[in-house]
Order: sequence, then structure tokens, then C-alpha cells
Amino acid sequence: MSSEPAVISVRDVTIGYARTVIQHSLSFDVRRGEVFIILGTSGSGKSSLLKSMIGLYPPISGEILFDGENIVTAMGKDRLRLLRKFGVMYQSGALFGAMTVLENVRLPLDEFTDLDAENKDLVALAKLNQVGLVSAAWKMPSELSGGMQKRAAIARAMALDPGILFLDEPSAGLDPITSAGLDALIRALSRDIGITFVVVTHELASIYAIGDRCVMLDPATKTMIAQGPPADLRDGSDNPLVRQFFRREAASAEGR
Amino acid sequence: MRQPDGSSRATRNRVEVHEGPNGPVLALFGPFTVETAASVRRQILMKLSARVVTVLEVDVSGIEGTDMSGLAVLHELGRGRFTPGVLPTLTGLRRQLQMLMRAFPSEETLGLGRPPAHRISLPDEVGQATLAIAHDLGEQVAFLGAVLQALVAGLRRPRTLRWREIGIVFEKAGVGALPIVSLISFLTGIIIAFESAQPLARFGAQIFVANLIGIMMIREFGPIFTAIILAGRSGSAFAAEIGTMKVNEELNALETMGLDPVRFLVVQRVLAGTALMPVLTAYSMFMGVFGGVAVMQMIGFPPARIWTQLSGAVDLSDLLVGICKSIVFGSVVSALGCLRGIQTKSGPTAVGDSTTRAVVAGIFMIIVIDALFAVVAYELKV
Repeated sequence: MSSEPAVISVRDVTIGYARTVIQHSLSFDVRRGEVFIILGTSGSGKSSLLKSMIGLYPPISGEILFDGENIVTAMGKDRLRLLRKFGVMYQSGALFGAMTVLENVRLPLDEFTDLDAENKDLVALAKLNQVGLVSAAWKMPSELSGGMQKRAAIARAMALDPGILFLDEPSAGLDPITSAGLDALIRALSRDIGITFVVVTHELASIYAIGDRCVMLDPATKTMIAQGPPADLRDGSDNPLVRQFFRREAASAEGR
Repeated sequence: MRQPDGSSRATRNRVEVHEGPNGPVLALFGPFTVETAASVRRQILMKLSARVVTVLEVDVSGIEGTDMSGLAVLHELGRGRFTPGVLPTLTGLRRQLQMLMRAFPSEETLGLGRPPAHRISLPDEVGQATLAIAHDLGEQVAFLGAVLQALVAGLRRPRTLRWREIGIVFEKAGVGALPIVSLISFLTGIIIAFESAQPLARFGAQIFVANLIGIMMIREFGPIFTAIILAGRSGSAFAAEIGTMKVNEELNALETMGLDPVRFLVVQRVLAGTALMPVLTAYSMFMGVFGGVAVMQMIGFPPARIWTQLSGAVDLSDLLVGICKSIVFGSVVSALGCLRGIQTKSGPTAVGDSTTRAVVAGIFMIIVIDALFAVVAYELKV
């Protein structure tokens, strides 16, 4: 795995809003084909980092490179080309409520390809089949349960066959069975199609099940405190916060 | 397996048909991804339309990199969609791709989810719509009762009324509306004066422009325009605020805490709306008359003359009718806004629908009530 080249390189990035720095000095590589996990306690800036990586909020400083191209400074057509490299599943699913599930998945195909209508339906249905949702294709998003909405959102993110998928808290708010199903789906997509995943989560079970490598953000020191495979962090880290996180211990009074 | 950078390489795609040992063979070469799938599909159709096939072998071993869009075309091919009556055999498909091909749902699976075609029948629709109107009227009456009940309960114990919120609504819906009320009333006054000045001049009765401005602004346009502005600015806002709360389950939260949403949210808005309307209307009347008087002065009437004419034309009963209307308008428009908010259903367009319904119902009721006032005022000779 380590021989694989980096598809995303985060170089000395500082994120924040206005004058508040949320995280600084973030540097890590995401390698092709791996499931990379951004983890941390609530409020550590995981989702903000993800939003910077997908080009929604520019970081205060630093570079975010996709195959060597910086998404922070890319404009116009270059930016669009970079955006096509990845799909995003937002925390709430963010399906367009006024369209059926099938139309949601087909939308990127409608907008960015010149495929025939039948072909687009076929691709969209195949994506829905991959996430196990064909039977819900003609339903409205509001008729789906939370887990189904997330799976439909993954299908939409995959519509254009991007090489990278960003998932923001895929297992948040799901029951363990649905959540495990989602983990299995992520593993299968990674193994079978070779999709690179960047996943924001704080679910320990998910981290062990799907994670190849992870980076951990600390809200207190406002920077990353650990990087590596989850098992190594669990067993080998001497940082108290990392240990607490992986052993599911409550924060000690003086520690936080 | 997939080209990381699948930019335009359509030129490298080739589709060939040659004769194999078991009949014609359709061979595909080059990248077969979302960017190239459409052009390859066209090439396939062109090659196949040139000949009649009874058997067909599709050789895909020449494909370099593909994705779901490319595989979708292969799926169509394999299903015989391009070759009616003939099911081609796919050869040279790598194992991994064969697995991906299985992602395409079969017709049986699709049949389970596909909704039956929706048939529209006119009697059915008319009946549904009639029932909906009757149901809505019922809800309006029930809501009126609930608001009155909560209002009386609130006025009996004024401390429970959350005056701070009333103040906030009063400021947003009242003070915030001053600019638009000023502009519309002032311009209305000017328009009435200008439009009536010409016809009245023909009879040498231009001074009666003052009567027109006075009666119309104070009895009709002042209250009506202010009420319509209230419906558009605040009735809609009430519906959206309460509607969003309903969508976010905040109304359920109130209810399970034992707090009545009507008492907690509606009474404040109705009270504020009712209290601010007379004030705003009086201001609108003043601005309208001011606009008309400005035009009359421009035409050449001395201010004293205009004032005498105006005070002779308008008496206290006109002002009272206007103010009474405004109070009724204010309570009805704000109550309807709240009702539409509470009636909000689920779904992404629900809040938008509620605001639309609030404004439409508000304007509709303003005109209906105004007509009632006109009839009653005529009978009472006020």
C-alpha cells in the first residue's frame, strides 16, 4: 500500500473562520486506493478540514493538491476539472428533496455527460443497485430512512465514477446494523473498483473496519496529533488523547 | 482499472466488425469511460445498422479502462437492445468487470420499485379539492377558537404573554415596514391626485381632488395597502418561521413539554400584528394624503384652501372606519400566517408552500373583509 502514489496531498494547511484558527500545520498524504480516515473528538474541525479539502472553504494558508494540482488556487475550468475527480457524501445526505432518488443520482450524468437517456438511467440504477437501493429509486428522499438517504447520497457521489469519494460521518445517527452495512459497502467499493476514500468519522467500530490509515485532530492543541494505521495508533501512541479516544475513556478533568 | 485522467481520448476509440469462426464479431478498443461511452455507443449502432446479424460475438478484450457508463453500454449490448431478437455473447471481459456488470439490476428487480403510472381523473381531483377546501375552512374556524381562547387566557394573566417577543415582532413587522409603507402610500396619493385632476378639471371641479384623496386614502387604500404589505412581509414570515419550527420538530417539542404552540407562538404574533396595524395604517393615511396634497399644491391650490376642503370631506367616522378595518386586517393576516405555518407538511417545498398559502389567504381575506365593511358601512350610513 505504501508504494501507491499520493492522490491528495495536504501541505501545511491552516483552517479557520475569520480570525479563529481551528486547525493549523496539517500535512498528510492520501494514497491511491486506500481508505483514509480523519478522526477526532467533536468540535476538533474534522468536517471543516473536509470542506477545505473539497474546495468549499479555502484554508487560511497551505496547499491541498489533487494529483499535484492545488484546489485552493484553481479557478474556472481547472477547478471544475478538479471537482470532477471526487464525489462527496454530506453528513445529512443532502439529497435534493424535490427530485426522486433516481433523478438525484442521474443529475450529474444529465449535467456533465452526453450519454443517452436510457444509458443514464441504466448507470444511475446500477449505482443504486451497488448501494442496495434499486427498489427505492422512484421514491422521494423524504420517504427514505436516514441510512437509506446516506446510501443514496453515496450513489449520487459515485454517479460520474470519480476516483475519490469523501464521506462526512457516514455512520453518524445510524443503527449498528445499517452502519456495518455501510462499512461493508465502503470496503467493497474500495476493493472492487479501487476508489480512494476520505472518511470523517469518530465511530471506533467503523475506524477499525474500514480504515487503512488515519489522522487525528486535537481541538486543544489545534493540530494533528497522530497519523498511521488505526491499530498502530491504538497500541503504540503515547499521546493521552489518542489513547483515551481508542480506549473509549472519558476525558480526565485536567486533560481537557 | 479506470483511467485516472479520462480527458478527451475519444479519438483512440475504435469499433470494428470482422468475421470470426462463429459469425460476426464486434470488437471494441480503447478507453471506454463516461467521457467516451456516448461516442462508442453511436459507433456501435452505426456498425450494427449496416448489417443484419443472426448471431453476434462482442469482444471487449481490447478495452483499456472502463467505468459504469461504459459498462452500461456493454450491458445494453448483452441484453440485445441494439440487435433485436439476438442475444450477443460477451467475450474477453475481465473477472473484476464481470462482477461490476452484476450491479446492473435485472428487469424483475426494477419491476418491484417502479411506481404504477399515475392516472388523473377529473371527478376525483375536483372531489379531492372540494374536500380540502371544506377541511381547511373547518381548521380555520377551529384555529380561530384556539387563538381566541389562548388570547383570553393570556390577557387574564398578562405575565405569561412573553412581552419581549411581542416587542420583537412589533419592531420587525411594524418599524421595519415603514420605508415600504411610506413609499407606496405617498405614491398612491400622488397617483390618485394626478389621475383624478384631469377629468375633474373638465367640470371645473379640480378642488374635489382633495375629497377623493381624503376618502380613498383614509377609508380604503390606507388600510388595504398596509394590510397587503403586512401579509407580504410578515404573514409570510410568520408562516415560514412556524413552518420551519414544525419541520424541525420544534412544535412537537413544545407540545410534549406541555406548552401549547398557539399560546406560545401564535398569540404574540397576532397581538403584535393587531396592535401595529392601526399605527401603521394611520401613518399610511398621512403619507397618502401628504402625497395628494403635494400634487394639488403643484397644480396651484393654496394650502389653506386644500385644508378646508379636506377637513370638510373627511370626518371622524371615516377615520374610525379605516382604523377599525386595519385592526381586523391585522389580526386576520397575522393569524392566517401562523395557521399556515402550523399546517406545514413535511418535505422540502413545504415551508415555501406555507408562505405562499399565507400570503394568498391573507390578501384574499383582506378583500373579502373590505367588501363586508363596505356593505355594512353603507347600511349604517357611516
